[in-house]
Parts: sequence; C-alpha cells; structure tokens
Amino acid sequence: MARYAMAIDTKRCVGCNACSMACKMTNNLPDGTWWTRVLTEGGDEVDTPAGIFPEVSMRYVTVSCQHCDNPACVKVCPVGATYKDPETGVVRQDYDKCIGCRMCMAACPYTGVRSFNWEEPGYSIDHAVGDADIAAHQKHVVEKCTFCYQRLARGETPACMDLCPARARHFGDLDDPDSEVSQLVGERSYEQLLTSEGTKPSVYYLV
Amino acid sequence: MSENKQGSACAAVSGAAPTGRFGGRGLNVAIVVAAAVTVAGLALWGVQLSGGMAQTGMRNLDSWGLYITMFMFLVGLSAGGLIISSAPRVLGLSGFGGISKVAVWTSVCCTVLAIGFVVVDLGQPLRLWELFAYSNLSSPLMWDIVVLGTYLVLSVVYLWAMLRYEGGKGSERGLRAVSAVALVCAVLVHSVTAWIFGLQQGREMWHTALLAPWFVSSALVCGVALVLVVVIALRRTGYLQLDQRHIVQMAKLLGVFVCVDLYFFGCDLLTEAFPQSDGVEVVSMLVTGQLAPFFWVEIVGCAICVVVCFTPRLRTSPLIVTASILAIVGIFCKRVQLLVGGFQLPNLDQAVVLTSSTVTNAGGTLADAYQGLVYWPTALEFGVALGVIGLGALLLLLGLKYLPLQPTERSH
Repeated sequence: MARYAMAIDTKRCVGCNACSMACKMTNNLPDGTWWTRVLTEGGDEVDTPAGIFPEVSMRYVTVSCQHCDNPACVKVCPVGATYKDPETGVVRQDYDKCIGCRMCMAACPYTGVRSFNWEEPGYSIDHAVGDADIAAHQKHVVEKCTFCYQRLARGETPACMDLCPARARHFGDLDDPDSEVSQLVGERSYEQLLTSEGTKPSVYYLV
Repeated sequence: MSENKQGSACAAVSGAAPTGRFGGRGLNVAIVVAAAVTVAGLALWGVQLSGGMAQTGMRNLDSWGLYITMFMFLVGLSAGGLIISSAPRVLGLSGFGGISKVAVWTSVCCTVLAIGFVVVDLGQPLRLWELFAYSNLSSPLMWDIVVLGTYLVLSVVYLWAMLRYEGGKGSERGLRAVSAVALVCAVLVHSVTAWIFGLQQGREMWHTALLAPWFVSSALVCGVALVLVVVIALRRTGYLQLDQRHIVQMAKLLGVFVCVDLYFFGCDLLTEAFPQSDGVEVVSMLVTGQLAPFFWVEIVGCAICVVVCFTPRLRTSPLIVTASILAIVGIFCKRVQLLVGGFQLPNLDQAVVLTSSTVTNAGGTLADAYQGLVYWPTALEFGVALGVIGLGALLLLLGLKYLPLQPTERSH
C-alpha cells in the first residue's frame, strides 16, 4: 500500500516545458495531446507577467492529473474505466474499457487535464517513441497522466520529474514518513489546486 | 365536435378544427420523409465515427455539446405526456378528454430519442454492452441508464395496459397501479438526469441542489407544451376530437408550470449572485455575457407564454400553440445555457498553450477561446441531430398510423 504524490517546487520551476516534452516522449502521446502542461500565472499570453513594469508578477504552475485521494472522475465513470489503483493511489484509465462518454471530463474540476482522442491518434514521428510497455493510444477514448505507471511498476519515477532540469519535481510515497515528498510537504509551505472542491489532490506546489 | 363554452373566439377556432380525414397520402409521405432523414442521419453518424469526433465542435475544454443538450431536452419533453396522462388517473381526477394514449406515445418517442442522443455522443458505441457487464453503480450516468430504460419499458407497458383496458380487458385498479409506478418513474428520470450535472462540484453553474426539482419543472413545462401542440395539430387533421375545455385546462396547467420554472430560475440567480463571489460570473454570463441570447429568449418566451395561458381572451388555439412553442424553445434555451455554461467558466484559467484538441478556437490565448461561446456545433452535429429527430418523427408517425391511439369512451 502506498499513496504516491508529487511535490513541485514553484520557486525552482522556470517554465521550460521539459516536463511536458518528457511526458510526451515517454508516453508516445499523439499530436495535439499533452498530459502535462505549463500554466503561466500572469498575463493573458503564455510567458507574460501580470501588471505594469516594474510592478509585475509571474509564476509557472505545471498541471497534470492531480491523482486525487477523493477523485471526482472515478465515481462518475459508468463502466469503471477510470479507477484508483489500490496499491499506489494512482488514478488510472483503462483505454480498452472506456466507452468515450466523457463523463469524467465533465466531472474533473482541473480544467484540461483529461484529454480525449477526438480522432485516430496521429504522430509526427514514423515510429513509436518512449517506453515500450505503455498501452497503445486509441481513438475516441479519454486519457491522461498516469504518473508514468509503467515506470512505477519497474521501480522508477515519472519521466517529468526525472527530466526536470531545474530539479523542481519530487516524487514519493506520502504514506512513508521518510520519503522525500513527505519530508518536503512537512517542512515547506505549499499550495494545492482547487482545494475547495474537496478532491484532496496528490500534487503539492511548494511555495 | 362538442359544444364550446369558452367564448366566441375559441369556438370559432375549434369549430373549424376537424377538417377532413386523418392519414392517407400526407401521412405516408411524412413517414417516408422521416425515414429518409433517419437514414441520412445514420450515414452522417458513420462519417462521425469513421472520420473522428474532431469533426464536431466538441473539444477537451467543452467535452459535451449539442447531443447532450438534446438528451437533456428530450428527457424533459418525454415527461409531460406521461405525467399528464397518469397523474389524473392516479389521483382519480377526470383527465384531459382521452388524450392519454397519444400523450404517452409522444413520451415513448421522446425517450427513444433521448437514448439515441446519448448513443451518438459516445466515442465507442460498440462498447455499450459494458454498461451492463461492468456497471459502476456510483455513477449518475449509470443511474440514468437504468432509470431511463425502466421508464421506457414502463411507458410501453402503461400504453399496452391502457389499450387492454379500453378493449374491455384488465381492471381499472391494475391500470391505476401501473400509472402510479410510471408517474414515480417519470419524476425520478428527470431527477437522475439533473444529477448527472448537479452532482459535479467542479462546475459552478451545475452544482446546486435545486437542479433536480428544476429539471422536473422544466420537464413539465415542455412536456405539457408538446402535448398541447400535438393534440391541437391532431384535432385539426381530424385524427381525434377534443373539447376546447380540455385544451384550456392544459394551457392553464402549462402557465402554472412555467411560473414554477421561472421562480426556480429566480431563486437560482439570486443564490448565485448574492454572495458576490464566484456565482456572479455565472449570472453575468447569462444576463449580459456569452449566453445572454439564450437567457433572454427563454425569459421573454416564457413570460409571453404565461400571459397567453392566463388570459382567457388569448386562449385561442393558434395562440396556445404559439405559447407552447415559445415554452418549448425557452426550455431548449435553458438546456443550452446549462450545458455550455458548465464549460464556459474554466476553473484553471491561467494562460496555457492550446492545441486543436483543447478548444476549437485554438488560434489565440485561452482568454480568447472563452471570449465568445466556447462551444458551437458543426454542420455534422446538426446533421446527426436532425437524423435522430427524424427517427423520433418516424416513430411518432408510425404510431399514429398503426396504433389505436384515438380516444375511446373508456379513455382518460
């Protein structure tokens, strides 16, 4: 039993999008699909600050599935295609089971973390990239971040954290008090996204 | 034609009502047209499935669209017929001049349509069987499938029980029992449909306890309005005869239901706006924002409908039909507001890179994508929707042609 979580240090994040790319390559994501996205907390445009110089502010928030402890998506799926893995606490998606009703997308409060393949998955590269043991992407089903479940199964950590050049991401088991994540969440002050929704997300933003 | 006591204007209209014989060539042509539209719709659905749902206006940030709007709307439409025919029977009242069977048949057709709209919305319709194999009973969508299926079967059983009773078989007690169960199921089906939306805490516009009773009231509005349009049209074509008194009764009832529905809307707007917090966005989006056209068509249409229904001088058949259509259009606008409004207010609105899967208008910033309506259907969606409606029209017309739905002496 474990409850995997991620702590993202917003003070270290430089908004380089390497996590998005790492995720995209590792999981062989189809064109137009991004499981991890970098949000700019600032102006209307990406990478722009709010305010007028010199009174400006900007911060990056990298957002993917929050792997909630109380997920809104799991209970609404009519066929149980999205489910919480009892061993790891990871919210998973079974492509073979998904009927494409998109109820989970309506239920999830975290805008844009769930992604539907609106057409036959297309790829810019002729051959598949990334891990060999990922499930093949399918047309007309919902998918999202899996915390790189295939890597967890091998005892590795998610690709986004491995490849973060700023070392802003930390991953581990919240149920283990000695894990890096538990330590950081205990020591540092943090924010979580949309706590008022009661979903108890497993992603912590260290501030 | 029975004597009319509602004033000269009504008498003149209803006196001219039953013209000619129902059926014949016109009906056959209509059936062929409806069948052709259905087949065209099926072909377009094939295009949607083979070419991908990227051909619709739906995207990750607005993941439901016209189909689910129509689903909500038709579940509502299906209510009226059943409630109008079963409620008086359950309560032992006199009813509305034997229109029960026609009313229930419209209910059956609308329920089939509602199910049809869910099916065309699915990405993987061939996996529908999983709903029965892997049912997740905590999902409001699963509840809806169970209740909607039950409702459809019950409506058909109710219709069959009525036909049997009118044929001199079966007891009135038995029929009354069936109608009571059907009535409860009708209320349940609207509540459950509301819960698909109302239980989602992540969508500001949907998450309210009022949604279920409100769905029931909206269903009563457009359901009764539909029955009024259908029976007045059928009376005009000579399919059935109906005393104007019953039409007036139903029109008054429609007026009451519209008032209840508007009252709920008022309660909801006040509750959203009063804390001057997130809900203000919902109210301004409806009243002056992107959804204002739909909001005002609903409010003005419903207001006119109430005036017609409550002013004796205005209760002529053409005006009642107009009022009914305004009410139906109004409730459709309500459905659009609910569905699009749920997606129009993102919880995470920070700037982010958009792709063609995120929103249809992915050229600008996220704020640009929400400037207008975040969702608008494509021609393909309108085509598929028309096809589904064609199926409903086909069913309705086939029922009128082959089922003995005309009122008899034992009708309710």
